Amino acid sequence: MDKLASLLHTSPATAWMVVKVIIVFSAVMLLASVWTWVERRGSAMIQDRIGPNRAALFGKIRIIGLAQLLADGIKFFFKEDLVPAEANKGLFWLAPFLAFVPALMGFAIIPFGRSFVSGGVTYHLSVLDPGNGMGMLYPLAIGGMAVYGVLVAAWSSNNKWSILGGMRASATMVSYEIGISLAVIAIFMSANGYDPSDVIKAQGHTPWTWFVVRQPLGFLVFFTCMFAETNRLPFDFAEGESEIVAGFNTEYGSMKFSLLALAEYSHLMTASALIATLYFGGWQVPFVKDPTVMLSVASFVLKLLFFAWVFVWVRWTLPRFRYDQLMHLGWKVMLPLSMANLVFHAWRMSQGH
Amino acid sequence: MGVIVKKVELTWLDRTYVWPVLQGMAITFGHFIRNLFTTTPNRYTVQYPEMKREIPDGYRGLHELKRFEGGEIKCVACFMCQEACPARCISIEAEEFSDLNITQGFQEKRPAKFSIDMLRCICCGMCEEACPKDAIWLRKDYELAAYDRLSMQYGKWDLMNTYSDADGKAHINQDPTPSVPRRTIAL
Repeated sequence: MDKLASLLHTSPATAWMVVKVIIVFSAVMLLASVWTWVERRGSAMIQDRIGPNRAALFGKIRIIGLAQLLADGIKFFFKEDLVPAEANKGLFWLAPFLAFVPALMGFAIIPFGRSFVSGGVTYHLSVLDPGNGMGMLYPLAIGGMAVYGVLVAAWSSNNKWSILGGMRASATMVSYEIGISLAVIAIFMSANGYDPSDVIKAQGHTPWTWFVVRQPLGFLVFFTCMFAETNRLPFDFAEGESEIVAGFNTEYGSMKFSLLALAEYSHLMTASALIATLYFGGWQVPFVKDPTVMLSVASFVLKLLFFAWVFVWVRWTLPRFRYDQLMHLGWKVMLPLSMANLVFHAWRMSQGH
Repeated sequence: MGVIVKKVELTWLDRTYVWPVLQGMAITFGHFIRNLFTTTPNRYTVQYPEMKREIPDGYRGLHELKRFEGGEIKCVACFMCQEACPARCISIEAEEFSDLNITQGFQEKRPAKFSIDMLRCICCGMCEEACPKDAIWLRKDYELAAYDRLSMQYGKWDLMNTYSDADGKAHINQDPTPSVPRRTIAL
């Protein structure tokens, strides 16, 4: 690290930071694009189909359809980039970035491995070091920003179906963020801090001390609300082909559409990372007290991939909710449940547990 | 007549919604796992260019004009198929032929031209039904694409050779001259 830093004429801390940023964000973006393929192949298998398996490198090397990513990318790059005549052009261009950037930014706080000491310096495996004062509040706040991209995309398209989708997405977000916040507050109380490293430390290395076991109700609420937060089925109200054409991205094509899709998958990755960190012990390896750094990273990535897969799995199992059912679920079920969860854990803490 | 719709009474377990969701997810996961460990040829999907479905008997595909063993066309140019064809894709020009009329004093008829416009043909099989001589069959080929319209005009020799390879017969491109009469008429 020192060698790299002197090579780049920066301090080791800065070099380490840059390396982390590059690794984390490129990994998330790569995973997000791979997940478009996983989604298509996974859904095909769930529905007894075969899915994209034909795209091949140089017309020969069929790596179980993985070249589909490249094919899609090339196609999107070379498609005509249409902007509707009556669209708000500035916002229309800005919206995909507004959707994409917050989806990635949320990942910055997540520790993806245990911290280690090398040469008297502690290296933390998260883009934002612990003790930065923002803690888990940061991804929640950024997550709230994500709907802004959807709404701006919808608004700037100047299309009534788009704006309906955007409005529905933002209403969903408002309703479900309360559930998320209350569920997470119960965790903060139990973890005695809101820094992700505190939360992970409080969970320990045994699976039955993880928060999913200690607060199953909170987990249920948080998990459900994450689907609303990421705009995934069964709560993907920004879209809805049977009701409002394609929803917020009706007017989008070529690379801008691709970026919106990538934003959804990056958001999915961030959401999975949040679930893994808050409820499944983050980088903790089950039954291993002090895992090596690589083991802890592997454990975290495994959890992340599992929950990303669950998002796909749920999407192809459950149908989309009706809008009034969504509001009913959000306000009359999720909010009271998370409230009850919070009160219960507050009472338990007052009893000295 | 009205039908009384039975309302399904949900148990409390169903009303939580969590348990039915888990059941549904178990079903989809079962499908996923089953497909994951099934090789592609064994799945329901037929991967078309590499795999092809077995064509059932009675399938009506590309036509064949049948021939006798000597290579003579069975068709006698009676125009029954042309009349029967609902898509009007068959056009026949008849000719009299024989060297027998000199020796035996009768003439036979055969098509000089027999063309089927495959762009119009609907493979209904009416020509096959109408044919009194069993001279035209609809068989199992169904991949009839071509790059230009002219290639879809099947002429007499095209139609006589459509299944030559499949049946292991010789390709022929001219009518053999009969040397012996196929039937003898007592004069």
